[in-house]
Amino acid sequence: MNCQKFEGLASELARGQMMDVELRSDAEAHGANCPSCSAQLRDQEMLSHGLRLLGTQMNELQAPAQLEAGLLTAFRQAQVVTQLPMSRNYRRFWFAAVAALLLIVFSVIAFRMRNETKPVQYQAVVPTSVPQDSPVFPKEETPQKREVVARNPKSVRKQRPVISNASMQARAGSNRKKDNNVVANHATNEVATEFMPVGYLSVDALQDGGQIVRVELPRTTLVKFGLPVNMDRYNERVKADVLLGLDGMAHAIRFVQEKRSQ
Amino acid sequence: MKTKAELTDAELLRSMLSGDEESFALLYQRRHSGIYRFALQMCGSPQVAEDVTHDVFVFLMKSGQVFDPARGSVSSFLFGVARNYVLRRFRSDQATVPLIDDDDETVFDQKLDEPGPLDDLTRLETIEGVRRAVLSLPERYREVVVLCELQELSYGETAEILGCAIGTVRSRLHRARSLLLAKLRPTEEAKPASEASIESARCFA
Repeated sequence: MNCQKFEGLASELARGQMMDVELRSDAEAHGANCPSCSAQLRDQEMLSHGLRLLGTQMNELQAPAQLEAGLLTAFRQAQVVTQLPMSRNYRRFWFAAVAALLLIVFSVIAFRMRNETKPVQYQAVVPTSVPQDSPVFPKEETPQKREVVARNPKSVRKQRPVISNASMQARAGSNRKKDNNVVANHATNEVATEFMPVGYLSVDALQDGGQIVRVELPRTTLVKFGLPVNMDRYNERVKADVLLGLDGMAHAIRFVQEKRSQ
Repeated sequence: MKTKAELTDAELLRSMLSGDEESFALLYQRRHSGIYRFALQMCGSPQVAEDVTHDVFVFLMKSGQVFDPARGSVSSFLFGVARNYVLRRFRSDQATVPLIDDDDETVFDQKLDEPGPLDDLTRLETIEGVRRAVLSLPERYREVVVLCELQELSYGETAEILGCAIGTVRSRLHRARSLLLAKLRPTEEAKPASEASIESARCFA
């Protein structure tokens, strides 16, 4: 223990604060041997005594009694004042809620009335073009022939009576993605064979691309490609996709059959 | 079921905020004297102390919902509010704060004139000297002396009120006591402060 450490502890010692027993004994031993530190501790003890006397004397002081009366009056007034705005706020809230509810009801009624007065017009959506360079992708019809008819009236777009060709094209273009989905869904309802080359053309010629045309052929055509034929349905026709090359010649064919429902 | 007198300060505050006047009166009776004394010891003027006490409890009835039990007790909350009002007073009107003005000894003189054990002249001089010394301290040191020494709050409670760390309270109190000793030494020993400081040089034994 040195004087610097003792100086830090002197006020704690004088105030009777709790501290480590060993530290306290060290400080007391140092204070007993060092005159200046002993005087410092004495000063601190006198200061603590003086502060304690001042605190004890002032403990008897209290606020005047009329202060409590004034505060109680203010408390009563505050209760009256604070309740009024709260009730007004609730009333405003209820007005807003009812107004919002009425607005919603009127909007729904107006929407329904508008739907009833105007007949729903179903419009076929015709895509502008279809990629023609992929013989693997199952395309069943030429774009000119394909026509997607909406089955659900809710999903049908309503159009104005007079629509220019340009706007039709633009609208069809915007619906291309949706249209492709319809084709894909439709394609999944069919079962098709692999493309088989027609005549003696090379298989590599199939990679050149072309156009697929849906045709109907006599069922006997299946025999020419080595496929079995059900004789009970001999007179029926069979659907096929013919891949026309860039030269306009038929390069390959595949046979298509409706998938049977399970 | 608890009676009103058995309720804690926080419960009384909740009840008071719901409009119970009795709870407010009880809370006031419990805490007003500490707040009043704190304001008086900080500013030295009974009128200012009365105003501060009034403002603290008006604040409590209007904005008591800002009290957060997780941050401390209701008592600490009230002391904190009182401290803010006192400091605001210091900032707004320094002239009305009679720190060491010899002409303003209203409250203390009334007490000092009362007969009894305090009639001892030495004792009276000691108390008066300490009071003046405390009032002459800078605010940051005065408030720790008032709270820790005169109000006898713990370091933790004082730190809650002042919104600082316990170590800060301890160091400020140490510094405040050194300042108080320096202020009291010339009157006690009739020596200049400079001479006293020379005598208390460290020995580094």
